[in-house]
Amino acid sequence: MENSHVRDAMHTPTETEGSAAAMGAKIQAQGTNVHYGDKHALKDVTLDIRAGEVTSFIGPSGCGKSTFLRCLNRMNDTIDGCRVSGTVMMDGEDIYDPKIDVVQLRARVGMVFQKPNPFPKSIYDNIAYGPRIHGLAANKDELDEMVVTSLEKAGLLAEVKDRMDSPGTGLSGGQQQRLCIARAIAINPEVILMDEPCSALDPIATAKIEELIDELRENYTIVIVTHSMQQAARVSQRTAFFHLGELIEVGDTEQIFTNPRHKLTQGYITGRFG
Amino acid sequence: MSELTVKSGQGGARTRELVAAGIGKRYRAERRFRIFGLVAIVSALVFMALLFASIIGKGYTAFVQTEIRLPISYDVAVIDPEGVRDAAEMRRANYGKLYRDGIQSLFPEVEGRTDRRLLNGLVSSGATFEIRDAVIDSPDLIGKKGEIWVPAADDVDMLVKGRIDRNEPENTRRVSDKEIAWVDALQKDGRLETRFNWRFFTQGDSREPELAGIWGAVAGSFLTMLVTLLLSFPLGVATAVYLEEFAPKNRWTDIIEVNINNLAAIPSIVFGLLGLAVFLQFFGLPRSAPLVGGLVLTLMTLPTIIIAARVSLKSVPPSIREAALGLGASKMQMVTNDVLPLAMPGILTGTIIGMGRALGETAPLLMIGMVAFIVDIPHGFTDPATALPVQIYIWADSAERAFVERTSAAIMVLLAFLIVMNAAAVILRSRFERRW
Repeated sequence: MENSHVRDAMHTPTETEGSAAAMGAKIQAQGTNVHYGDKHALKDVTLDIRAGEVTSFIGPSGCGKSTFLRCLNRMNDTIDGCRVSGTVMMDGEDIYDPKIDVVQLRARVGMVFQKPNPFPKSIYDNIAYGPRIHGLAANKDELDEMVVTSLEKAGLLAEVKDRMDSPGTGLSGGQQQRLCIARAIAINPEVILMDEPCSALDPIATAKIEELIDELRENYTIVIVTHSMQQAARVSQRTAFFHLGELIEVGDTEQIFTNPRHKLTQGYITGRFG
Repeated sequence: MSELTVKSGQGGARTRELVAAGIGKRYRAERRFRIFGLVAIVSALVFMALLFASIIGKGYTAFVQTEIRLPISYDVAVIDPEGVRDAAEMRRANYGKLYRDGIQSLFPEVEGRTDRRLLNGLVSSGATFEIRDAVIDSPDLIGKKGEIWVPAADDVDMLVKGRIDRNEPENTRRVSDKEIAWVDALQKDGRLETRFNWRFFTQGDSREPELAGIWGAVAGSFLTMLVTLLLSFPLGVATAVYLEEFAPKNRWTDIIEVNINNLAAIPSIVFGLLGLAVFLQFFGLPRSAPLVGGLVLTLMTLPTIIIAARVSLKSVPPSIREAALGLGASKMQMVTNDVLPLAMPGILTGTIIGMGRALGETAPLLMIGMVAFIVDIPHGFTDPATALPVQIYIWADSAERAFVERTSAAIMVLLAFLIVMNAAAVILRSRFERRW
């Protein structure tokens, strides 16, 4: 039953809204393929990510949504045997062009990971890490200000301002994840990628992060991978559904959840598989 | 359907029965395992206690030395017949005559060449240097009379320390009845005492056990270890970082990895031969030098450090690397800022284990000539030197009874160094350790 479904999907051409792509697309992926060794993990994905919006990637485990996310700041480069083909354009530049420096790219495209991963350093040093390695602050005062602003933006300042020197690993899970978000925005990126940022958190911490994502949307383009369809519905303006390495459907979140065009999407969001 | 329910009901009862039947066996297995563990630990502790008891029991007397207080008349005619007070000239004077006169003045009744010789033999020939140094230090002594403590000969020392049995028949005993009588007489006069053996800690090796010291070997070991540490730590860590973080994983790196693991298992004497062939024959470096010893031990220690460093680099969680790379850190920044500090405790432990092995290593040093009898204390990396374990080997191989206690004492010194090194490792570890 389910297998036939899947096969069905493979014969259906991937659909993107060509008309919307031109306006305000921050990132444009064209025919992106990813292979891990012999495994074809991502098949011919064409997708636009619009500036100033939250785009969420949903789909069952192993569907390639995280793989695609990691293509956007070339984190896949660090995996042995991983090959990426096709083009990923950011502001009209191919980020896989050999002339593009991956360090510079990652300064523009920040990332927040599934499990909160603060450095085993003080809260201050965690936030100051990015500005320090990129040499963004001219002096100590400037750095202090960057740290405070980032924590402020991440809504963490009130909770940690009295213990900036205590280790970042001593915070609660939700606070750690907001620390990681603050750390990412300290280098003032244009895009923030979030790989299931709430999967290790309780509902209250999740609500705080979602609120934060909503606020950050004003200044940053955000891409979020999530397993929770409710979360996708709550925080994102656009949603892309992946299945077995293919992009099945992408559209406005409201449309995807109320009126999915594809059978597989419908099956997934109504909880029939996944 | 009903049959199925009954069956499963029976199955449940049967499961309980089987679990109950087997549970005793499981607990017995656990108890047995605990007892084995306890037996293993207790026997290890017993053997360690025996080892320490044996070494300390044999060696503690080496920290004191029997000395004799002799009356000396610092005769001008002997020391400085020309009266020029020239230190170089005075060094050559016949101080042996002074101490022989001294001991004979205590026993004027002894006559005849043989007996006098025997009497002179109570005092170590090292007395010569004691008297000489006293005179050079304060030339005012010349022409006066004085008393001076000089080391007793090794047999007297052994007799006083009870290492020679007085009840043994005279013909099989190393000390004759006459000598015992003289020693007892000296002791009664308060002219013979056991005093702290500072020579053991400040002198180099000697053919005379009572004059032999460990300092030459300690200095040799220190210089050798310094060379080893300075070369093997940076080289080893850099190699491990390169192989673990930068090198592509292909056949070449696999071959290198296999070879490093093999090198760690090669008998150390082979490294000694390699050192002999390469450093001495090919590069023409000096024989018996701490520099060459350090180079050879570096070859031996490198694989240990590389393996330990790679393991601890590997154990740094990937989330930390991702965090750093995700923020746009370059690979080098990631390594130096995040990965190395987290791997440091493991790397240090591996290094100290490697250094501990190198400190106790004898075989490769034999091949490059560090086994030679060397009296002078080395002051540089190319001075001839020996090392602590080699010194132990040389003394253990010596015939004199008094070297037995010195061997044990040298072992104690070596163990003390190892304990200090391990303590340093623990302190460094806790300093570098970070909480997650």
